[in-house]
Amino acid sequence: MSTAQLDRPAPAPGPAPGGVLRRVRALRHTSPGRLQLLLTTLVVLGLLTGLVAGLTAAAARAGTDDLGDRAQPLLVEAETIYSALADADTTAAQAFLAGGLEPAELTRRYEADLDRATTALTSAARRTPPSGTAAEAIRTLSAGIPRYAALVASARANNRQGLPVGASYLSTASQLSRDSLQPQAQMLFRDARYEVDRGYAGARASWWSALLVVLLAALLVTLLVTQVHLSRTTRRTFNIPLLVATAVTLALTLTTAMILTGQRSHLNDAARDGSAPVALLAEARIYALRERSDDALTLVARQGSPEPGKDPYEVTSRELTRRLDQAGRGTDGSARQAVDSAARHRRDWENAHKQIRALDEGGRYDDAVRLAVGEATTQTFTSLTGDLGRALEDRKEAFTREIDAAGRGLGLLTVVGPLLALVVCGLAAAGLRARLEEYR
Amino acid sequence: MRARAVTVAAVLLVSLAAGGCSGDSSRPRGEASAAPSAAATAPGPGTPADTSCNPRASRRPSAPLPKPGAMPAGTYMRTIQDRGRLILGTSQDTLLFSSRNPFTGKIEGFDVDMGRQIAAAIFGDPDKIQIRVIGYDDRVEAVDAEEPVDLVADTMTANCDRWRDVDFSTIYYDAGQKVLVSSTSDARGIGDLGGRKVCAAQGSTSYDNIAAAASKPVAVARAGFADCLVAFQQNEVDAISTDDTILVGLAAQDPYAKVVGPRMSQEPYGMAISKKHPEFTRFVNAVLERNRANGTWKKTYERWLGDLGPAPRPPAAQYRD
Repeated sequence: MSTAQLDRPAPAPGPAPGGVLRRVRALRHTSPGRLQLLLTTLVVLGLLTGLVAGLTAAAARAGTDDLGDRAQPLLVEAETIYSALADADTTAAQAFLAGGLEPAELTRRYEADLDRATTALTSAARRTPPSGTAAEAIRTLSAGIPRYAALVASARANNRQGLPVGASYLSTASQLSRDSLQPQAQMLFRDARYEVDRGYAGARASWWSALLVVLLAALLVTLLVTQVHLSRTTRRTFNIPLLVATAVTLALTLTTAMILTGQRSHLNDAARDGSAPVALLAEARIYALRERSDDALTLVARQGSPEPGKDPYEVTSRELTRRLDQAGRGTDGSARQAVDSAARHRRDWENAHKQIRALDEGGRYDDAVRLAVGEATTQTFTSLTGDLGRALEDRKEAFTREIDAAGRGLGLLTVVGPLLALVVCGLAAAGLRARLEEYR
Repeated sequence: MRARAVTVAAVLLVSLAAGGCSGDSSRPRGEASAAPSAAATAPGPGTPADTSCNPRASRRPSAPLPKPGAMPAGTYMRTIQDRGRLILGTSQDTLLFSSRNPFTGKIEGFDVDMGRQIAAAIFGDPDKIQIRVIGYDDRVEAVDAEEPVDLVADTMTANCDRWRDVDFSTIYYDAGQKVLVSSTSDARGIGDLGGRKVCAAQGSTSYDNIAAAASKPVAVARAGFADCLVAFQQNEVDAISTDDTILVGLAAQDPYAKVVGPRMSQEPYGMAISKKHPEFTRFVNAVLERNRANGTWKKTYERWLGDLGPAPRPPAAQYRD
């Protein structure tokens, strides 16, 4: 069945459309011809199965690795950038509200936030293709963060000299962060979520797996048909090499099924217990930070409570409640405990916020500020974000665990799949050649 | 800041919907130079758009001042007394007039002291005051808003346009518009700034005056004058133009800035009060009258504006009835 035959002109005029087809058809009518056909089919199927088994395992492995080493870390980094920027903004507003020389602790926290944001940005840049919306967002952030830091530094320098223009620098910085930097970070986060979804599809390698199942089934059927045919046309009931080949194919099928279904089940677990809660909790933490920032900026603006319906705090608050509910339902174990604790601290924080608004509305601005930047409120809020952070870490670990488990065995399949298929080919050839010899 | 932006946007919408009859001149940023019709109707330098009235003349104080803490029943002063605090609308970024002291976090200045003197007259305690920061383009609406302020003292020029919507107290300060430029600049006034970017607060009369200047500078609007200083220091604008008093406060924060030029306009400052309760305007005028006479005005001037030189005579009160 070499391709050379295809190049030859049809040897004789006849009713058949092509020489090759005619010859193949002619083979069916003789006993050795039939055997030759079966042998060819077996070898071709065996080789294809080996090839596809290797490719499926390689694709699933590459997909799983990409998910674990690139897509999911990118999501986490995008969240870090977003929440660090939101936290820096909140911290700067708090320091401003406190008045006087800014507390050293707030300065340290702001510095740490900026460090986190820039570090995460650097590694996110490595994991992002050089074009597309994500790359655009990274470029904007890389240019914007130094500008933001410079504006905050100017605000501080002016504040140190007692110049009120410092406040305007701070509000300019805050505006830059809220109107430009944070939306870009949000875009990066959304893009990363999409990448993770695509990563799961890639890791499942569904098309390759389906093809492999079809090929394995075809190989098994052909092996059985061949053996039935042989036991009918010869006196031997069993052909040992073909029997062994069948056993090897079955073993290959079982191994593949076990590894691939195991991988899929771990991938599902990783999506359900890892990626989904990580995304939810990340968003919850961002919304929590925004709540505090909205609260502080309302005090900074000194314009009283925003009109109902136009209060950014209301929107943020609704979103946070939704995320916390979902996260509570979608987790269990220690993550669930952390989320429950976060919900409790959230209630305390909401009460503090209501009290702050009531004080401000009642004309007691100074008391409102004292409460807003005070130890107790800060403690409550830090507990809230701390709880969310703990739940997030827990779910990140769950993801890593499941992804590691999902990758297990895929490497083995990449090597063993093709090898076993070659063995099947060899055995089929050995088993049929002996029968073919008898016709010489 | 976002809360403020939202309010500003809302106010913009309201004033646009009202066909600009509110006496405010808020216009979306950057539209000024591209709107010749608006520039044509805007007041020119030194020539008020509307000379149908004497903006300096206010309501005459009637009875002698009641004792602090004993406001007559049925008056708006009594409403304030029962509430327990006076609500003053002002800004927090106009150094010397009303700005946030970065050391204490308190808002203080000449305008704030004017408000505190009214609070002292009502309660006998100047600290019974709540300060609410309002946008420059929100000053007229603030006294009749859903949650109104009692009084606006915010370097606010009394003019006939605004008189249609609010009452003003008698004039408590006389300012005039000048220009702030870089200390290395050769410009000696708005006349030398043709085609250059000049910043003013959105909704201020200063903004209109820049847009209407004969030398055709490019008017740039910011939320407040301190935001203009940020823009100036970031090289986004070449100059800032507004009342000399505000400019002095800005120049004090930047050794590389100087105030130049003759006064382009007269800007008499009055406190805005709602037309709904004229008795309060008369009360405020009575307090001002007393404080001009007993030297309180002079002391307030010296406290905040002493660096400008010795205190001038306080602006004389004029009345329309």
